[in-house]
Amino acid sequence: MFFHMVLERNMQLHPRYFGPHLHEKLTTKLVKDVEGTCSGKHGFVVAVTKVESIGKGLIREGTGFVTFPVKYQCVVFRPFRGEILEAVVTLVNKMGFFAEAGPVNIFVSNHLIPDDMEFQSGDIPNYTTSDGSVKIQKDSEVRLKIIGVRVDAAEIFCIGTIKDDFLGVINDPDATA
Amino acid sequence: MARGRRDEYEEEEEDEEEEEDLEEEDEEEEEEPAGRRGGKKRRRSDFIDDVAVEDEDEEEEEEEEEDVGDRRRRNRKRSGSQFFDIEATVMSDEEEEEEEEGEDDFFVDGGAELRDDEERAIHRRPSILMQPEDQLDVDELRQQLHERYARSSHIEYGEEATEVEQQALLPSVKDPKLWMVKCMMGHEREAAICLMQKYFDKGAELHIRSAIALDHLKNYIYVEADKEAHVKEACKGLRNIFSMKVQLVPIKEMTDVLSVESKSIDLTRDTWVRMKLGIYKGDLAKVVDVDNVRQRVTVKLIPRIDLQTIANKLEGRDVGKKRTFLPPPRFFNTDEAREMHIRVERRRDSNTGEYFEMVDNMAFKDGFLYKSVSMKSISSQNIQPTFDELEKFRKPGDDADGDLASLSTLFSNRKKGHFMKGDAVIVVRGDLKNLMGWVEKVEEENVHIRPKMAGLPKTLAFNEKELCKYFKPGDHVKVISGIQEGTTGMVVKVESHVLIMLSDTTKEHIRVFADNVVESSEVTSGVTKIGDYELHDLVLLDNMSFGVIIRVEKEAFQVLKGIPDKPEVVLVKLREIKNKIDRRTNAQDRYRNTVSMKDIVRVLEGPSKGKQGPVEHIHRGILFIHDRHHLEHAGFICAKAQSCIVVGGSLGSRDRSDSMDSRFGGLRSSDFLQSPMRLPRGRPPIDSGGRGRGGRGHDSMVGKCIKIRLGPFKGYRGRVTEVTGELVRVELDSQMKIVTVKRDQIADTSSMATPYRETPRYGMGSETPLHPSRTPLHPYMTPMRDPGATPIHDGMRTPMRDRAWNPYVPMSPARDNWEDGNPATWGTSPQYQPGTPPIRSYEAPTPGSGWANTPGGSYNEAGTPRESSSGYGNAPSPYLPSTPGGQPMTPSSASYLPGTPGGQPMTPGNVGLDIMSPTIENYISGEGEGGWYLPDIMVNVLRPGEDPHVGVVREVLPDGSCKVSVGSTTLTAHPGEMEMVQPKKSDKIRIMSGALRGSSGKLIGVDGSDGIVRLDDSLDVKILDMVILGKLSVQ
Repeated sequence: MFFHMVLERNMQLHPRYFGPHLHEKLTTKLVKDVEGTCSGKHGFVVAVTKVESIGKGLIREGTGFVTFPVKYQCVVFRPFRGEILEAVVTLVNKMGFFAEAGPVNIFVSNHLIPDDMEFQSGDIPNYTTSDGSVKIQKDSEVRLKIIGVRVDAAEIFCIGTIKDDFLGVINDPDATA
Repeated sequence: MARGRRDEYEEEEEDEEEEEDLEEEDEEEEEEPAGRRGGKKRRRSDFIDDVAVEDEDEEEEEEEEEDVGDRRRRNRKRSGSQFFDIEATVMSDEEEEEEEEGEDDFFVDGGAELRDDEERAIHRRPSILMQPEDQLDVDELRQQLHERYARSSHIEYGEEATEVEQQALLPSVKDPKLWMVKCMMGHEREAAICLMQKYFDKGAELHIRSAIALDHLKNYIYVEADKEAHVKEACKGLRNIFSMKVQLVPIKEMTDVLSVESKSIDLTRDTWVRMKLGIYKGDLAKVVDVDNVRQRVTVKLIPRIDLQTIANKLEGRDVGKKRTFLPPPRFFNTDEAREMHIRVERRRDSNTGEYFEMVDNMAFKDGFLYKSVSMKSISSQNIQPTFDELEKFRKPGDDADGDLASLSTLFSNRKKGHFMKGDAVIVVRGDLKNLMGWVEKVEEENVHIRPKMAGLPKTLAFNEKELCKYFKPGDHVKVISGIQEGTTGMVVKVESHVLIMLSDTTKEHIRVFADNVVESSEVTSGVTKIGDYELHDLVLLDNMSFGVIIRVEKEAFQVLKGIPDKPEVVLVKLREIKNKIDRRTNAQDRYRNTVSMKDIVRVLEGPSKGKQGPVEHIHRGILFIHDRHHLEHAGFICAKAQSCIVVGGSLGSRDRSDSMDSRFGGLRSSDFLQSPMRLPRGRPPIDSGGRGRGGRGHDSMVGKCIKIRLGPFKGYRGRVTEVTGELVRVELDSQMKIVTVKRDQIADTSSMATPYRETPRYGMGSETPLHPSRTPLHPYMTPMRDPGATPIHDGMRTPMRDRAWNPYVPMSPARDNWEDGNPATWGTSPQYQPGTPPIRSYEAPTPGSGWANTPGGSYNEAGTPRESSSGYGNAPSPYLPSTPGGQPMTPSSASYLPGTPGGQPMTPGNVGLDIMSPTIENYISGEGEGGWYLPDIMVNVLRPGEDPHVGVVREVLPDGSCKVSVGSTTLTAHPGEMEMVQPKKSDKIRIMSGALRGSSGKLIGVDGSDGIVRLDDSLDVKILDMVILGKLSVQ
């Protein structure tokens, strides 16, 4: 789920940037530093939308760096258990498949793939229904439900299922190609 | 023994009241607490049993085991009297037994005894029969017993002993003690019998009370006696008892010795058991029927039958062949059997009404073998069926059933404190099956749960066995027992009490019992460390191969070997790992970019082409890349550095000080490439070693440990004592002998082979206080170090000979050489690798070149001026002056002058410091012996292109150079351009270094390299190294 929220961060800036474009520099640095990171609490920071305020800088002794408390608005993404997500399959193996929904890696175990889908090894490993009508392979788009989330310091890993109503392949690369 | 007596009483009572109700009496007996009986009776029975059992042992086979047990118990009943009038009863007794054996399978348990009347009658019979004989002795015996046990505390015994009374029966300090005596292995019973026999023979002479051999205790028997001496006395002369060591059994443990293991096997249907005997030994079996009366169980097994053999047998062909192999467990297939022309009968079991396929007297059903076995031949304790086994057992189609079975077993193996408050549980048995809830309280066996369902009481109490832990898919759990112990992962699927979880680290599916799992937020792969080695460490293996630990198992590691293009995983034990490779090296990628650790590289060729990730380890040009999308081998890929390309900038190199990096990057970039490259550039060691040696008694060779390569002493090792021209005198290590060998017949074992790095003493001893300061700059293992290290080696190799020419320079590294050149050091590096020295000699030239010309500069470049200078700066070489006089005459001028370590002071600020502050502390400290010239010392000034002339130091300048007056002129000379004039006998001298630096005195004698000095101020006579003595000018 996406959230728009205000976060705070202490930015350290090298003295060489002190000058007319200080704010600009801070913003760029903030964006560079923050976007794409993942915190266990909030999830992935997807984008910084606005810098709300930049506090007074504090010169750090010894280094000359200045620490600015920066408040910024950003969009964060955090998966939750039970959430339905759309994801792109990145890897298929006999244990299941991995899919990515933005920055989040989701594993769908073969236990959580409908029983009528079977693993087909070969050049392009895939899961196919017995009648061959549905196929999950690399780059397929699937809709899945998250059943478990493991949040590490710098990574969020999910386990998903497509063994439920209205879940499964939503877009086949073969079909579009 | 007290028991014996009690029984005796009973017997008597019985005898007397015989006419009265026998049965009542019997019951009384039965009601006696088990503890009393269980404990002591065993003692007797063991004693007695042996007689009976021994005779029959041969006849008895597998199945008879239980009979033995039975009989033993029966014996026990009678044995009270038996013990005391054995002559009279033993024989008849045995006969009795034999008679009885056939009839019954009667089982008497220590505690609850179940018998029918008939049994009782049989049981009673012997005692009745014995009576006439018994009667004769009884009175006497009673007397004896009274005497013997008059002291014992437990004479009385009521109808029903209370617990307190039972306690009183426990042995106390007053009772005879139990001693453990070693005996011959396998002859325990025999030993006990021997003791018994001895007792019969000797009677009262033997002061022991009893002897016990326990079936489960090998190599020992117990002897009950009051004193150790009695035991020894009794054991004397018995060859199968070793009475040398007699151990006292602590009172507390005495009961344990004789307590009967509680055999309360709760065999019920669907329990998992393991077979103890036969071809199915160790196989898992499932109990399908229990016959408690006959002590037999019917178990279900996966048959291990060889149809061919059966077919042969049925057809009467060579059956005689002994079974040579164990048929693998396989389900029985009727069709297959029919194909082999084996007759398969279909029979209905009369009891159960089920149909079985009968083949060769074996019953099969659904492919399983149904076998009736005795309870003795299965073990039901601590059965932990593995998943594989269960999986095999579960034939396709019947999943629900199998689970229940494993459940029951699991429950019996549960640890204490299995359920914790807050655990989610599900009821698996009873009316409320499938009710979910949370544990509220645990009381022993009972667990109170808060049910999930509304409308139920707040808490419900369940027996532990009715509950099972419950997890939902997506839960993050940790395995707390079993093979996978410690692994964490997320639950993917729940199949009743079996979970399928996805391991966090290996991304593999693991099947575990819900019971073995707890919810946890922690992420581990189980054990991550054994000994010094941790997951993802790069380790050197036994056979010089190396690899990354990708998985830590209970006692071994899985290591992905460093073989590019072919992922090879080996399982290694801790001891097979030599050491951890913890060096930060670099390599070159395909385009000769430097690859450092943590750089992100992409594999360009090979099987893992296209993979990308940070480099975790580099070793010998092989990269271990961690690709998080790679699922095998914990995400590690092994690839040659040359087949990879660095993506983006090098992270690793940025961390380091850039000047160093750029300068030495090339040098460092490929550690493994260096040796071959250096080789040609390096001066061959022999060259440097051999030059200018002739005619000198001492040079760098002296004191070295060498190996003789050729000649009659080939292979010997020894230390060089003297070098004369082409001849070297070697003191052999192995013989007290000094031999003379040709110089070209020896090989240096150590000096070159002892790499600098491995012997930090070279430069880092206490004498070089400056050295350590350098270390943080250059991590120890970095090749950086090489350049830094070089000067010292150079000092040892090349300049050494210069120094040898030039002994007056006190700062010669020879000292180092010597200090470190003590046999221990040299000797410890026995392999003389010809490949190694070249490296060093290569290194040497690098700074060496600078040395010859601009030494200071070169050091600066090396970035380690201090270290190198200190390496030299401290060490007066005591061995040099032993050839005094000669040296100054051989000034081969320019060639050696700059090479002399004296050149150091040119590096401003290092040695200069010492000179600037010729304070006493410096010398007193003894460590910072930066001793240099002192005023009024006579020196030889040797300048390139000039003749040497003798001068007198007038003043020492802060940078280490001196103002020297030569004749009438005064010039400034670098220390490198000077050398001290060696004083001669009765010269006035000044001590140049050591605690007495600065003191003057008179050289009153010379003894080899030592000078005998009388100090001016104290008139003490000191023996000092000639090299630290400077001649004072006599002006």
